[in-house]
Amino acid sequence: MVISLKDSLKLIGIIIVSFCAVFVCTFFLNFYLDASKLEGAITDSEIIILYDAQMATAKFTCAITGGFLALIAVIMLIFYIKLYIDGHSKQLGILKAMGYSDGKIALRFAVFGISVLLGTALGFGCGFVIMPNVYKSLTIDGLPHIAITFHAELLIALIVAPSVLFSALAVGYAYLALRRPVSEMLRGKTEKKLKNRKIKEDKERAFLVEMLFKTLGGRKSLAFFIAFACFCFSAMIQMSVSMLDLSTVGMGAIILVIGVVLAVTTMLMATESLIRSNIKNISIMKAFGYSLKESSLTVLGGYHIFALIGFAVGTVYQYVLLRVMVDVVYKDVVAVPEYNFNVSVFFITLAVFIVFYEAVMLFYTLKMSKISVKEVMEEN
Amino acid sequence: MIKAENICKSFNNGTVEVLKNISLEIEEGEFAVILGASGSGKSTFMSILSGLERPDSGKVFYGNEEITSMNDKLLTDFRRREVGFIFQQYYLLPHLSVDKNVRMGADLAENKNYREIIEKVGLADKLKSRPSELSGGEQQRVCIARALAKNPNILFLDEPTGALDEKTGRQVLDYIMQMKKERNFTMIMVTHNANIAEMADKVIKINSGEIEKIYKNTSPKSAYEIGW
Repeated sequence: MVISLKDSLKLIGIIIVSFCAVFVCTFFLNFYLDASKLEGAITDSEIIILYDAQMATAKFTCAITGGFLALIAVIMLIFYIKLYIDGHSKQLGILKAMGYSDGKIALRFAVFGISVLLGTALGFGCGFVIMPNVYKSLTIDGLPHIAITFHAELLIALIVAPSVLFSALAVGYAYLALRRPVSEMLRGKTEKKLKNRKIKEDKERAFLVEMLFKTLGGRKSLAFFIAFACFCFSAMIQMSVSMLDLSTVGMGAIILVIGVVLAVTTMLMATESLIRSNIKNISIMKAFGYSLKESSLTVLGGYHIFALIGFAVGTVYQYVLLRVMVDVVYKDVVAVPEYNFNVSVFFITLAVFIVFYEAVMLFYTLKMSKISVKEVMEEN
Repeated sequence: MIKAENICKSFNNGTVEVLKNISLEIEEGEFAVILGASGSGKSTFMSILSGLERPDSGKVFYGNEEITSMNDKLLTDFRRREVGFIFQQYYLLPHLSVDKNVRMGADLAENKNYREIIEKVGLADKLKSRPSELSGGEQQRVCIARALAKNPNILFLDEPTGALDEKTGRQVLDYIMQMKKERNFTMIMVTHNANIAEMADKVIKINSGEIEKIYKNTSPKSAYEIGW
């Protein structure tokens, strides 16, 4: 069979996203469950307000981070499966021609759930490793000591359930994606779709401009991932610095690391897929004498706008999130520091972001220069 | 004149010798066929002649210009200026129309009248069609138009009729010959088909990476006169 365990382990993006989601949720939810036991035992009204705010923060963070990252992992999984089926269209077509049913082939896609299992298990383990420090930073003066307890229900909710759900999702989506005529799969991935798609072309538009628009239009999911990477970069870095007065340095560092890891992984995954899916177009352009700059512009150039949109949305998101924390969650707590939009952090993050984005683009432009025209052509 | 001097090329760290000391000359405006069986090294030789690949040793000259010593940027400029390609597998851009595929070549030469070529290859009514909506012969004609729209001085063809049936193959060869007559570019074709070689001015027969013989056809045949 074509799909193997190795394919699942290649889904680095999903492993990292599920790691980050479960890592954050593990220590916040564990703290929430342990701290809930104290609910009736606190009598001081000021400490009750702080305690309630702390509990709300834990719930809020889990819902926002866990929910958001779970959604991203779902989108990534669907993207990977689609990419896999398109890339292995001929092999899967041969299996179907030999008599394997769609259901039987789709069942093999359950192994993609292993990447979630790996990510969530690692996230859960690492969450426990840093848990003593998190408890220390979250515990309020005046509260009794909160002991770390292992909650089996969290193990099920954060590792077992997501792995099973993602496996089922992979099988279900693969089943739907495989419901295509064998002849079409054997011929190649996109012929029918292209045939049915109406041509929207400006007759007088130059080739390079047309190519840029078509590349962009043909890979909308990659535009989303690039925007998401830039969103993570912008939101998490700015938040990690802006929240220093509201939280601890350790918590800021965790958010910073998660943001950078998510941004770098997603950006590399999206750009790598972009280059891979355009490798033949790049080769033929090179053969005809289009320069590296021109090829790079048509393949990568259109995504700048999505990167900037992602950055802008990330900036607004982190501001609104912290504003809500201060104005809603901590509204009754006395001595909460004032929070305002940090302009200097914004500009520094923007400058670092531009360097980061352009470095990734330069790296892939150089990678494009190494594509051997002859090798690509000999593959056919 | 195109001149290749002592071209050697090997793969797998020198263990597989593909080209062994090949030298030849091709005159301006000439139609040369590089004839050889599968694995003889003919496609590798064409890649080296056209600047798609570098030899391990040896030199390729276009007039006084040596392309084998050029860096990547100069070599790209050279291909942009001088060379057109027609491949067996077409390599059309699947998401672009016929018009835009041909414009890919035309824009490189700032050729605004490229639609004339589309008309000449008989595809004026297919301007908006995608490659997947065309037959093999039509796709190959788009390739011809794309290659010629950039006004190349040298046209390289790698088994241009390899994926076509006899009738379409002859048609495509006839189109190419008509264009050559009109524009008088140098043409270098790689093929395993000895019949097609009868259309050429010069035939370079390659066997196991070596030139077996070079000969000239005194009266080259047309696409409809050769056997298939």
